Amino acid sequence: MKKVFAAALGILTAIGGFVDIGDLVTNAVVGSRFGMSLVWVVVVGVVGICLFASMAGRVTAVSGRATFEIIRERLGPRAAGANLVASFAINLLTLTAEIGGIALALHLASSVEPRLWIPVAGLAVWLVLWRVKFQIMENVAGLMGLLLVGFAVALFLLGPDWGELLRQAVPPSPPGTEHPASYWYYAVALFGAAMTPYEVFFFSSGAVEERWTAKDLSTNRVNVLVGFPLGGLLSVAIAACAAVVLLPAGIEVSSLSQIVLPVAQAGGVLLLALVIVGIVAATFGAALETALSSGYTVAQYLGWSWGKFRRPARAARFHLTMIVALLLGVGILMTSVDPIAVTEMSVVFSAVALPLTYVPILVVANDPEYMGEHVNGRVVNALGTVYLVIVVVAAVAAIPLMIATGAGS
Amino acid sequence: MAGLRGLGRVVAGGVGGALALAALGGCVASRQEPGQATAAVADALAEAGSAAQTTRIAVELLSRGRLTGPVADTTLLDQLRVLDDADAALTTLVPPDAASSAHRADGLAAVGDVTDVVVAAREWVAVRSGGDLGAGPAGAGELLDDLDQAAGAVDEALAAAGGP
Repeated sequence: MKKVFAAALGILTAIGGFVDIGDLVTNAVVGSRFGMSLVWVVVVGVVGICLFASMAGRVTAVSGRATFEIIRERLGPRAAGANLVASFAINLLTLTAEIGGIALALHLASSVEPRLWIPVAGLAVWLVLWRVKFQIMENVAGLMGLLLVGFAVALFLLGPDWGELLRQAVPPSPPGTEHPASYWYYAVALFGAAMTPYEVFFFSSGAVEERWTAKDLSTNRVNVLVGFPLGGLLSVAIAACAAVVLLPAGIEVSSLSQIVLPVAQAGGVLLLALVIVGIVAATFGAALETALSSGYTVAQYLGWSWGKFRRPARAARFHLTMIVALLLGVGILMTSVDPIAVTEMSVVFSAVALPLTYVPILVVANDPEYMGEHVNGRVVNALGTVYLVIVVVAAVAAIPLMIATGAGS
Repeated sequence: MAGLRGLGRVVAGGVGGALALAALGGCVASRQEPGQATAAVADALAEAGSAAQTTRIAVELLSRGRLTGPVADTTLLDQLRVLDDADAALTTLVPPDAASSAHRADGLAAVGDVTDVVVAAREWVAVRSGGDLGAGPAGAGELLDDLDQAAGAVDEALAAAGGP
């Protein structure tokens, strides 16, 4: 049982990173418009996040320090400052979207107006951050988020033509009804969603919370190899459900309520209820992750005392940063902005900021002063270099594609 | 030196003025081409068609007991927002010729028909969930028939506007 829970950090990180509100919607939009033709992006994203999260976890396990602390020390305050500004802004956008996502999921379950749920969601996230231990938080949110496996169950119950799904996926190409620019816009958005910067900062800081040492390198591998591929599989299942039920009906996904229709069709009310609980847990877990990442990055950059393993009074500025981020997120949402639009923006801007996050991690993971004998091997460095090229291409293409396609419309 | 600065200010002012004039002139002169207007009508109708199909699935699932009342209600409310957007896109469109004006008029009528059925479907959901609406609206079968008709009108208008 202890070994099962040892993977909870990876599962929570992946559930938050791969199936937060933006991913839920983006995957369903992609499935309903492009069928399975963008599944390759999820595969590329899973390999990339496994590679860099594993590096970040290894850096923490070997040095005993979180990645952002080392980035500031190794690259200096200016480079780390640029990284901080970009990641904090994207964190804030994502946190805003996640709180909105919790409200939308609760709206789905209750019919009560989402704006009434927004302050409740913000308060609940703060209470958990303030009172609940890190291990309990990650185990409950991560394992309840696993209820999203309901999408995979629904896919099997729908009994799709697997050959047709495979034909849509291989070879990957945009359907005739869609413009290639829209196809590539969603490819970049899916890649940005899979490689969201907060995932690695949360993962490495979580490893400090769990007091990993060099002896925990195998735990790092288990977390990475179980958590992220699982998140990727859930993403594919969501897209496939949409491809099977919504695409043939000509439905353009624009809301959370449409995403659960294939689940209800396949498994009825019981499976639907489980998936809605999973959506609430996944968005709640992602809100916890992004709020914590806001606190982690600012505190680690400025050298403040941080961590949930400390009492709030001993990490007051860390907790204050999270409270400010939460208040900003709730405030933005109360202006009636669409949380799904906010997430889609955050996913695209994540793609823009990717090089700022992943270049420093690759540099630090190759520094023998921090890593000793655990520096990157040749294969990891070769893969890391390939991914840096992909990351830079995605970063450069994101904004022009967004403008050219009217955000994929 | 002061003369050069003055000349620079004049040139900068002239360039700024010319840019402002060009921008304003562009606004006044800008008009949609017939093809663009028809494409805008087709986009709005595609959204309306999607809303009709979503409503169909929600009504079917609720009538078979595979969907909860709150999820059905939220789904239909979301579709009313989509239809509202489609309606706004059509009402704010300035048709550049008689053909696109006719496409827009047909589109508006079709979107209105779908909206009426979705509103009726929401009432039906409310009655099923224990709401007190007197005699109540039609049953699922009648709603699905109305939806068929409304979706057919959307398809016709979409085909006329050059959609799929």
